[in-house]
Amino acid sequence: MNTALIYRKEAWYDLISIWRTPGFVIPSLVFPIVFYLFFGVMFNRGGASVYMLVTYGCFGIMGPAMFNFAMNIASDRAHGWLTLKRLSPMPVPAYLLAKFITALMFSLVIIGLLFTLAALFAGVRLAASQWVLLAGILLLGTLPFALIGLILGLTLSDKAAPAVVNLVYLPMALLSGLWLPVNMLPALLQQASWIWPSYHLSQVGLKVIGMDQGYALWIHLSALTFSSLLLAMIAYWAFQRLGAAKA
Amino acid sequence: MMRALTVNNLHKAYAGTTVLAGVDLTLDAGEVLCVLGPNGAGKTTLISTLLGLVSADSGEIHLLGKPQLGTRRSQALRQQLGVMMQIGSLSANLSVYEQCDLFSSYYAQGYSAAELVALAGLEAQTKQRFGRLSGGQKQRLLFALALAGKPQLVFLDEPTLGMDVEARQALWQQVKQLRQQGVAVVLTTHYLEEAEQLADSIAVLHQGEIVAKGSPSELKALMQYKVVRCCSRLTDAELALLPAVLQVSREQQLITLHSRHAEQTVLALLQIDQWVTDLEVRPVALEQAFLHLTQNPTLHQECAA
Repeated sequence: MNTALIYRKEAWYDLISIWRTPGFVIPSLVFPIVFYLFFGVMFNRGGASVYMLVTYGCFGIMGPAMFNFAMNIASDRAHGWLTLKRLSPMPVPAYLLAKFITALMFSLVIIGLLFTLAALFAGVRLAASQWVLLAGILLLGTLPFALIGLILGLTLSDKAAPAVVNLVYLPMALLSGLWLPVNMLPALLQQASWIWPSYHLSQVGLKVIGMDQGYALWIHLSALTFSSLLLAMIAYWAFQRLGAAKA
Repeated sequence: MMRALTVNNLHKAYAGTTVLAGVDLTLDAGEVLCVLGPNGAGKTTLISTLLGLVSADSGEIHLLGKPQLGTRRSQALRQQLGVMMQIGSLSANLSVYEQCDLFSSYYAQGYSAAELVALAGLEAQTKQRFGRLSGGQKQRLLFALALAGKPQLVFLDEPTLGMDVEARQALWQQVKQLRQQGVAVVLTTHYLEEAEQLADSIAVLHQGEIVAKGSPSELKALMQYKVVRCCSRLTDAELALLPAVLQVSREQQLITLHSRHAEQTVLALLQIDQWVTDLEVRPVALEQAFLHLTQNPTLHQECAA
């Protein structure tokens, strides 16, 4: 058995399978672009386009990561596809890694489109190192959201998953300051923003352009690391639970 | 001959409800074991437990000679297993060829993607996505994928569900070929004709217990009666008085007698009524044996002996 070949084929076929789903591809790519065009380009006031490049970048990468994992894994479970794979010699990490690579690919496309829009139409000028660092942060930042999606996909039915992802995704984006700065939120919600990984990710990104809230970098990185570890443990528990569930 | 499957005293309960109650099974290489049972008998739970999708509460499972604990099944073992589950689907957006290509990559010494397409008989649908295949075509593809690794032991859970007659018979032919190649097959089905066609041995599962085991002819022999059919002028009461008759039923003109000694019954019938027509004597069909076994729990002791 060629393990590398399995990983490669899983990743490739997951990607093209998702790519052939317009209902997933179009909203994933269009929403962050349209929002950025509207708020970051058309209503660009006082450096808003730079700020929103980061926050809509976060918003953009969260969606595909959460939806790809949650909806597709819930669907694969419901239709027996995941069972069939678990019974085959395919290593389970190949399946999960394939979904993560798909999420990364979508993130890469969204980042590329947003950066192009920002540079060409919003007049955003950053140093090359800032562009690269920002892209790297957003790509790595896909992980906690993929884990949230994984947990939802492993625990929800295929019918419930899309609704619940929206219930998590949209409020989390708003409460993390991705649509409007955190300091414009009511005091209580400002404090609550600390619980969301999306808040910490956006603050790390905003630090690159010097527009963050001023807290130490290590606090945000620790929060992201801790939340990712916690989510990974919950995902592991949810996966083990699948084996114990009634067939 | 290698023992492909051994199950000893397997128990499983969900929330206090017993689903498998002391199941014992054996299967050798090159044999087809058919697990028959009404809905809810525990067939899918049995398959799921054997495959490690759910853990048994107690009991022993040996697959291809190796003891299996809990839900863990080694990758080496999974290389030698083929599985087609009752609820089985593939990615709707991948084509027939792509599904085969993906599955063939899982196995060290399996069929190539092109060979799997041919095995499924879907050469004309190579580029067609799974979601656009007919129910029977989907089943054929799932069956082919179950054989992707040239397995030693194959589990088929209701494999011909949704297939037309032609596709069903083609699949039966493939199962027979597997048997000739020395592959052991565990098959669950609702179709008794399928069991009769394919099974070397049948295990009848009822409320989690194996109520009867044996070859199709052994199971039919358990009934210890034959079926006499004819058209006669005698009344039901008169027919019931014939020697060895156990049961009389009538459908319009056609009379069905269950007889312990069909020869005695027929001789007596012909002596009383010389106008008997359409006379035939048949062994008990598997369907009747199955119904009898699952509707008469007391027969359990008799069959297990």
